[in-house]
Amino acid sequence: MKKLYIVTILHNVGKFVLSVFLLSVLVFTVSRLAPGDPLYAFYGERVEKMSAAQQEEARERLGLHEPLVTQYGRWLRGAVRGDFGISYQYKRDVKEVIAARIGNTLLLGGLGFGLTFVLALFLGLFCAWREDRAADRIICAIGTVTSCIPEFWLSLLLLLVFAVWLGWLPGSGAYSVGKEGDAADRAVHLVLPLAVVVLGHLWYYAFQVRNRLLEEVRADYVLLARMKGLGGRQVLYRHCLRGAMPSYLSMMAVALPHILGGTYVVETVFSYPGIGTLAYESARYQDYNLLMVVSLLTGTLVIFCNLLAGSIGGRIDPRMRRHGGADGWEVKSR
Amino acid sequence: MDVLTVKDLSVSFYRPEGETEALKQVSFSLREGEILAVMGETGCGKSVLCKSILKLLPDIARIKTGHISIRGEEITGYSEKQMQKLRGSFFSMVFQNPMTALNPCMTVGEQIGEAVRLRRPELSGRERRQRVAALMELAGLNPSKDRIRQYPFQLSGGMAQRCVIAIALAAEPAVLFADEATTALDVTVQAQILELFLKLRKRMGMSIVLVTHNPGVAAAVADRVALMRGGELFRIGDVEEVLEEIIHSHNLT
Amino acid sequence: MKKRFPVLSLVVLTMIVVLCLSFGPVMTKDPLFMDLAHCNEAPGKEFLFGTDSMGRDIFSMIWYGGRISLTIGFLATLLSVALAVLVGSISGCAPARADGVLMRLTDLILSVPGLLLTVFLQAVFGRASVYSLSVVIGLTGWMAMAKVVRTEVMQLKNADYVLAARCLGGGFFHVLFRHLAPNFFPSLLFMAVMNVRNAIVAESTLSFLGLGLPVEAVSWGSMLSLSENALLSRAWWMLLIPGAFLSGTLLCLTNLGNYMRGSTNKRHSNLGSRK
Repeated sequence: MKKLYIVTILHNVGKFVLSVFLLSVLVFTVSRLAPGDPLYAFYGERVEKMSAAQQEEARERLGLHEPLVTQYGRWLRGAVRGDFGISYQYKRDVKEVIAARIGNTLLLGGLGFGLTFVLALFLGLFCAWREDRAADRIICAIGTVTSCIPEFWLSLLLLLVFAVWLGWLPGSGAYSVGKEGDAADRAVHLVLPLAVVVLGHLWYYAFQVRNRLLEEVRADYVLLARMKGLGGRQVLYRHCLRGAMPSYLSMMAVALPHILGGTYVVETVFSYPGIGTLAYESARYQDYNLLMVVSLLTGTLVIFCNLLAGSIGGRIDPRMRRHGGADGWEVKSR
Repeated sequence: MDVLTVKDLSVSFYRPEGETEALKQVSFSLREGEILAVMGETGCGKSVLCKSILKLLPDIARIKTGHISIRGEEITGYSEKQMQKLRGSFFSMVFQNPMTALNPCMTVGEQIGEAVRLRRPELSGRERRQRVAALMELAGLNPSKDRIRQYPFQLSGGMAQRCVIAIALAAEPAVLFADEATTALDVTVQAQILELFLKLRKRMGMSIVLVTHNPGVAAAVADRVALMRGGELFRIGDVEEVLEEIIHSHNLT
Repeated sequence: MKKRFPVLSLVVLTMIVVLCLSFGPVMTKDPLFMDLAHCNEAPGKEFLFGTDSMGRDIFSMIWYGGRISLTIGFLATLLSVALAVLVGSISGCAPARADGVLMRLTDLILSVPGLLLTVFLQAVFGRASVYSLSVVIGLTGWMAMAKVVRTEVMQLKNADYVLAARCLGGGFFHVLFRHLAPNFFPSLLFMAVMNVRNAIVAESTLSFLGLGLPVEAVSWGSMLSLSENALLSRAWWMLLIPGAFLSGTLLCLTNLGNYMRGSTNKRHSNLGSRK
């Protein structure tokens, strides 16, 4: 069994590496084919001051005349060593620019993901428990309305109400000037962006949990469980939740990159210095070196989470193991 | 005294489209240690009868009139809390399709163990495991380590039904409802399960309500037979008598 | 549990659509005219919904811009549906291996955060116009529908009732329209309506961020891209009015879509009375 397990892991690692490689080829090609002179990606506005001969020489030096494959090879060699080129907008190493911002995004996205995860489960359970009663209907109605409000407008609404009209909360940045290390100050700045991230995702997942549980609640095994003397609520927690959990966990694994990588609208509205604002700026100012790495980063996260979701499902859902075979019970019990 | 008495029980389903009468004035009583076969066509209300006694029907079903009492105590107006205490101790039930009745995400051991824990919360972990093993043996399952750790989908239909029976027995019930408990099984397995019911009655002295549409099943194990049609219980009597009548009426028409 | 038909949503949506399409007579001002003498004016008699920071009349812009938002939503969906039907049918009919590759690809695109994909594509396309934006949004919205179409096509090949219908002499189109379409039409319609909704969200978000339509090209999203000025000058009407129209339209679409999906759970809960 151990051997098979290692094979599965190696298989997944192989899949991961291959996917990331393909992704990088795709991202590289697209960014090179994009409108705008790649020369700008290296020299920025300085290009305009160069003479035609100088430009030509620069192209030669950067190998922009070489075939795309060779260019990609060079980029890849750099990338493996951690050199992703220079962000022309920031005139710094792409790596440095990203390193300076990624913590903020991880904080906002991570907290947002955690809250969404817990609240969606809680709301879904509650609504399934109160199915079709007043509380459930009200929550569902609020959910439907909220999920119809685009994230950016929700941000604007909250900004208008809480930052402009009421003045309770700060409306931009990750901290006040000169208070970089102040945890309380950071927390206050996080409230509004976090609220938008959570409200933007919560309802969809809560609905999924609710609907999944409502299916479970209609299964025959609920009757047997009640026959044992369990109350309805206990059946819901001990039995139905158990049936819904595997799909919830793999759903949330897929959701992780969406929530983490989906913070950029929020970050932009609240001028929150994170990867999202970076992606936005790099797209807007055609800073392809930067955009490429940001996309690659998000894509890698996506690929990783999808693999994770797949193996979570197979690992913890006994029903899935039947089909899994390799690390399943069927093999073990014989 | 009769272990279960049902008098003039009427149950209706209330849907937006209107009311459907599922049971009409059903009366019968179940004697101590007796096996009563409830027979009738599909949809005649056999299952609803069991589930309404146990109050396991969905919210849209309501008892309109009638009385249900156990050993002389009226339980018609019992709350869900009170019913919860009866289920899994006084009453228990075996369902038609064992594959869907078992929770697909829990092992055999967990599911039987849960029933034991609910019936006898005072048992220690070790005692509980011993009890699970004993119940499995009683239901005709080999309580090996592998078996205990198996999930329902790894069991055959007959094994799964034995597992459901072990769960039902964990309750040590006075009345066991078997709702088409053998219908989904092969004929040979069917016979084994019926044999098991007879053995269990002898050992635990419980009464069994056996819902079936198979006269052969009724003839094999029942003491008395109740016949249902369109929500009405129109005939109840000794097994030979009633089955004789059925045969006659079929010959006549 | 039959769902009630969302009459209100239909009425509101129809009104918005009709007014946007026939914007000429509704508008009280030229939506593109920048009346610099009347910047940031609150809603009043002359400017029903006020003016924005460039002096344009918001009331007129709503209808004029709505037309663009709706057009993009519609065009993008058209493209998405076409792509979905194409990919779905090919995948459903193709041999298992090709089907596997296609579906892997679909899943891969599906798992990328949608907006990032749109931003990336739009960056590649360069300057946005109504059509290029529709294409970009359409290109990123077909995956979920394609999976549904694929499943249905597979059924067309395998289902017993389809076989039965063919045995009885039903032709291809008979089987398609009488037996298959009733099955998958509701879910496809639901997804198409949701696609219109998502496309409008994508357009407005992109335009809001300044990555989509420029400020001069009026749409509900680009109207909101002046939000910074609006927040500074506390001009709530600049934020609330276009956003309310946007969200209202989306809500109506959602309600209609949910109704089309049809009722889901016919069985009753086994949990019993929950007091």
